[in-house]
Amino acid sequence: MLAMLVRRLALGVVTVWLVSIIIFIGVEILPGDACTAYLEREAQGLLLENCRRDLGLNRPAMVRYGEWAANALQGNLGVSPDGQRQISELVGYRLRNTLLLASGAMLCGIPLALFLGIVAALWRDRPVDIIVSTTAIAAMTIPEFVSATLLILVFSIWLGWVPGIVLTSPNAPLAEFFPEVFLPIGVLTLVMTAHILRTVRSSVIETLASDYAQMAVLKGVPYWRMVFRHVLPNALLPTINVVALTIAWLLGGVVVIETVFNYPGLGRMMIDSISDRDLPVTQAIALIIASVYVGVNLLADLLTMIANPRLRTAHMRGR
Amino acid sequence: MRKTLSFTALALAFAGTTALAEPTGTFRQAHEYGFGAQSSLDPISKGRVFQITEKIMSRLVRPDMEGRPAPDLAIEWSANAAATEWTFALREGVMFHDGSSFGAEDVVYSLQRVLDPANDSPARAAIAMIDRVEAVDASTVKLTLSAPFADLPLLLMDYRLRMIPEGSGDTIATTGIGTGPFRLVSFDAEGTTRLAANMDYFEGPPGVAEMEIIGIPDAQARLQALLGGQIDMERGISAQQSVMLSSSDRFNIQMIPTGNWRGLVFRTDVAPFDDVRVRQALRLAADRQAMVDLVMGGGAVVACDTPVGPRDQYRAEINCPQDIDRARALLAEAGFPDGIDIDLHVATLEPTWPVLAEVYQQQAAAAGIRVNIVQVPTDGFWSDVWMQKDAVTTRWNERPADQALNEVYVSTARWNESYYKDPDFDALLAQARQELDFDLRRSLYIKAQEHLWQTAGTLIPYHVTRLVGTSARVGNLDAVENMSVRWHLVTVD
Repeated sequence: MLAMLVRRLALGVVTVWLVSIIIFIGVEILPGDACTAYLEREAQGLLLENCRRDLGLNRPAMVRYGEWAANALQGNLGVSPDGQRQISELVGYRLRNTLLLASGAMLCGIPLALFLGIVAALWRDRPVDIIVSTTAIAAMTIPEFVSATLLILVFSIWLGWVPGIVLTSPNAPLAEFFPEVFLPIGVLTLVMTAHILRTVRSSVIETLASDYAQMAVLKGVPYWRMVFRHVLPNALLPTINVVALTIAWLLGGVVVIETVFNYPGLGRMMIDSISDRDLPVTQAIALIIASVYVGVNLLADLLTMIANPRLRTAHMRGR
Repeated sequence: MRKTLSFTALALAFAGTTALAEPTGTFRQAHEYGFGAQSSLDPISKGRVFQITEKIMSRLVRPDMEGRPAPDLAIEWSANAAATEWTFALREGVMFHDGSSFGAEDVVYSLQRVLDPANDSPARAAIAMIDRVEAVDASTVKLTLSAPFADLPLLLMDYRLRMIPEGSGDTIATTGIGTGPFRLVSFDAEGTTRLAANMDYFEGPPGVAEMEIIGIPDAQARLQALLGGQIDMERGISAQQSVMLSSSDRFNIQMIPTGNWRGLVFRTDVAPFDDVRVRQALRLAADRQAMVDLVMGGGAVVACDTPVGPRDQYRAEINCPQDIDRARALLAEAGFPDGIDIDLHVATLEPTWPVLAEVYQQQAAAAGIRVNIVQVPTDGFWSDVWMQKDAVTTRWNERPADQALNEVYVSTARWNESYYKDPDFDALLAQARQELDFDLRRSLYIKAQEHLWQTAGTLIPYHVTRLVGTSARVGNLDAVENMSVRWHLVTVD
């Protein structure tokens, strides 16, 4: 178990390192650089040269990557373009804000998804299942920016219950993000609930049809006891992985939501930094998102292993 | 009886507010956070957030509602007979927000800072003809020019040329100390920047007590913030979006003709565009009114390839209907009886460019001009495509006539995007600058624009009309461009 953990961690570090190289190359390939992005029309002659010199952009890409990597290994992610603030500090606030969004969505979404998924599976093909499943498919297929805009239209512009656009500064205390954060959380909850719900539903249905569930019924085990004791524990295992993927998506993939709502999180910072060709910030965010992906997936595998005795013993026997 | 009573009470209340004139309420607007982490309060830096600097700092001269020079920090000015020496009398008793008093030394410092090549200010090109800035006494400055220039006050209206305290260059980017109607409370380009009424403002206390300037990069999000009542004003709404606002009594829309233009540039130094007949054909093939309707939803004023805006006192009124037959004939004359093929490079940097290019493609096809639209990335457009490829899209913001003509068309101009080199045109502009008689000067500028219509490589189909959406609670907002708005007059309910 420990050996596996170490191996997976090592693989994770390699993955993160590869991601940093890919991101670096990606940003290098894009036309223009930090100076042309900033200077726009004035990106000519002396102004451009001075800017490139100041930012050290006139050195070969290899040298710049090496320098960045060496600093990053020592925990130094660099400073913002104006030289005033540490990138780790800037990114830190954004990470906190995205975590607020993600945890809000998870707190609402996961219990809701489990409940609705189980209900839909137990009353399969009944009206309640049909309503839940159709709504889920609708929530999944409507692009986030459309559902976001619709929610803004209804709750902010028509009803005026909550603000539609987030106007809070990135480094404001968390409390100031309320109630602005409700709508983005609502949209995220909508999308992620749909995803998890569908996995839960099919998994429960599958388990209900399994031999041991059938056997329990034949042996006269009361229905609800059978559901809670035999079906749910087995059915919910596969959902751990889906939840893990969803969490990773919440941290990295909320770019669209953050842009629509003007939410100062990691996703919007990523977009801004790429269009500004602000490589240090782009890299720092890529590192965080990659680490989260690797970490959450590792955690999910561990959890599945702990929760499922068969996987545990199979692994032991394999050794 | 009751009705009369309440009416009297209302009238009294009204009288009360006007008598007190105490600033009240908060006015909120967005800015696009276009310069990211480089955003600055230094009015002459590239990253200036003008939505903030225009409210906290003053110029020497500002535009009046017709766009003509009007007193700001300078109360009057005069030139010598040759228009090479200008004397400005400054307003006395004006205080900066930090309590220090404003005087000639601050003007000298502020202008020299722009002119100093070490500061790399984008505003330098606009006033490069200023050779020397001197303080004559505490409230008089003298500007000496390297060449005669009759319209210097027009150039000093530039939105970047704001006066800051002497010696504050190293700190102005964050302190934002000026003499404007509002003073800085806190600066946060990414979030909310807060301003408070400057009760000592030289034209009296402003109408609103606070202003909030909020960074919202996404245009759609800005519109939603306006619709949701989170901001009070959004400048630059598209014709499609304005429908949403005009159908509601919670919002008002101002339509402001501007000198901002979009266009197509054909490099005059490469074949086939080096032939003036081809250039004429390219421009005659355009149906400008159709472009205004199709691209801008009617929200623009037709231009005949002049960069000078419709409200500018030097604007030439030219008539330029589409003339396909003449375009065909000119092409044939130039040796292209079968028409020509053009690669037009278009990015989505300006959302209307692709539409403009497609409309032109359709219109020009009738004249045998086959336009192939080449999509290029927005990133790196200004460095890799513009002024590099033979045919590109372009856009410019409003400039005074002289600046608009000089910055883009004079042989030696840094931004001569069409590589237009015409000694006659250069001579007309040089002459206009020296001409002290307004009518003569005006006729020279008009001649220069007519010359462009005959020979230029730039197709300028229209000047954009800006749509400004405000919430109904906003009052007294001048219906003019940003740089002319008197922000101290604005009120909110």
